[in-house]
Amino acid sequence: MKAIIIFLFSLLFMYLDFLFAEFSPVTISGLEVYFVSRLLLMFVLLISIYVSPSMSAFIGIVFGLMLDVYIGSVYGIHSFGMVAFVAFMHTAFRVFYKDFVAMAFVILLLTFLYETYIYFIYRLLDLVYMPIFDYLALRAAPSLLLNALLFFFVFVTALKTSKVRNNLQSKY
Amino acid sequence: MNKLFNRNKMLMILFGIIVLILLIGFSMGDRDSTTKAEQFTADATAGTQTVIGAPLNFVSSIFSTISKSFGAIEENEKLKAKLDMLPQMEADIERLEAENEELREALDVSSKREYDTTAARVISRSPDQWLNSFTIDKGEKDGLTEGMAVMTTEGLIGTVRRANGGSSYIEMLTTSVSQNNLSVEIMHDDTPVYGNVSRYDNERNLLVVENIKNRSGLEKGDEVFTSGLVGDFPEGLIIGTVVEVENDEYGLSQNAYVQLKSNVDDIDTVFVLKRSPESTED
Repeated sequence: MKAIIIFLFSLLFMYLDFLFAEFSPVTISGLEVYFVSRLLLMFVLLISIYVSPSMSAFIGIVFGLMLDVYIGSVYGIHSFGMVAFVAFMHTAFRVFYKDFVAMAFVILLLTFLYETYIYFIYRLLDLVYMPIFDYLALRAAPSLLLNALLFFFVFVTALKTSKVRNNLQSKY
Repeated sequence: MNKLFNRNKMLMILFGIIVLILLIGFSMGDRDSTTKAEQFTADATAGTQTVIGAPLNFVSSIFSTISKSFGAIEENEKLKAKLDMLPQMEADIERLEAENEELREALDVSSKREYDTTAARVISRSPDQWLNSFTIDKGEKDGLTEGMAVMTTEGLIGTVRRANGGSSYIEMLTTSVSQNNLSVEIMHDDTPVYGNVSRYDNERNLLVVENIKNRSGLEKGDEVFTSGLVGDFPEGLIIGTVVEVENDEYGLSQNAYVQLKSNVDDIDTVFVLKRSPESTED
């Protein structure tokens, strides 16, 4: 039951990420500012804490592949990235003190690093030409801000999802 | 380090990096077909997206209908006025088509301009927003294949990169992947001047056309079309307008900077062009 709920919410967050892409970039003072939401990634990272890292890695591979094949020019970026970032999350959480603020900090930091990882891969493959400072100012910072605003919404969803199985067990 | 990453995890990440490199090599390779596995995965994702998106699209269509209804009367009047001119325009087109056909038969040449169009709707854009690529709701079962030209009502926008069963992945002209071998003709005083698209200048948002012969006399405002010489693109599809011409770094040829006619950030409906088989025989 929990696996199905997690899968459905992952689908929903993936679709919401697509939806945010419709409204971006926003032109501010003649500059194109990109707001890239990472709802699916944040959900997958939260699942690694509240459910299990293996479930999170599985969801990461499945949805990473779906993203790569459905809407990607370069295969492997999302499927590898999601699993690697779940591993980083698992490792980082052993180091940080486990409270809400630390968790929010680590997850937002990882969304920023994920965006940067994709930027570097595309730069390496000569697919994008954006200078690093433009990337930081017009893309990374606004995206971080958007994801910080959306984090609470994803956090509540992940928390509720993690309790699905317990509720069912208490009934029977 | 051992405490943070144990040996198993390190091995898995190293294995993942190898798989990543292999997948990048596979996807960046010059392929002219889409595998069944790719088609199945993409179609399954498109299907689930359609199901999840249906309620949201329904709500947004209600708001859209309400907002459009405010200017409907005025728009209706304008369209009626245009409609009055339609019979005359249709008659003119029929007459010109017949005349064109007769002249072509007299000259015994086939046209590279002949193509069939398939209208398609954009169903999703890449959430990364790096390459401006998008997916449309028509695929192989609608007759689409890899390499076909994709247009908006304003002009050429990209090419079909992967044709799945019921959806297709489109790469824009603004990405370096889709510009390979795109030959163009720039019309200057009714004389075509040929060149090749080399890249997209992201800083200036302009397409760069290279290998234009020296002293071609190109000027700002000259229109750029596909030449139909390379690939499956028909001849005469409008791409954009020249905004600047400069000599290349060795002074052997010229480069032109072209402003695309289509707005790459606002695409809702596109047309996929299928070049007629007769036109590719030349």
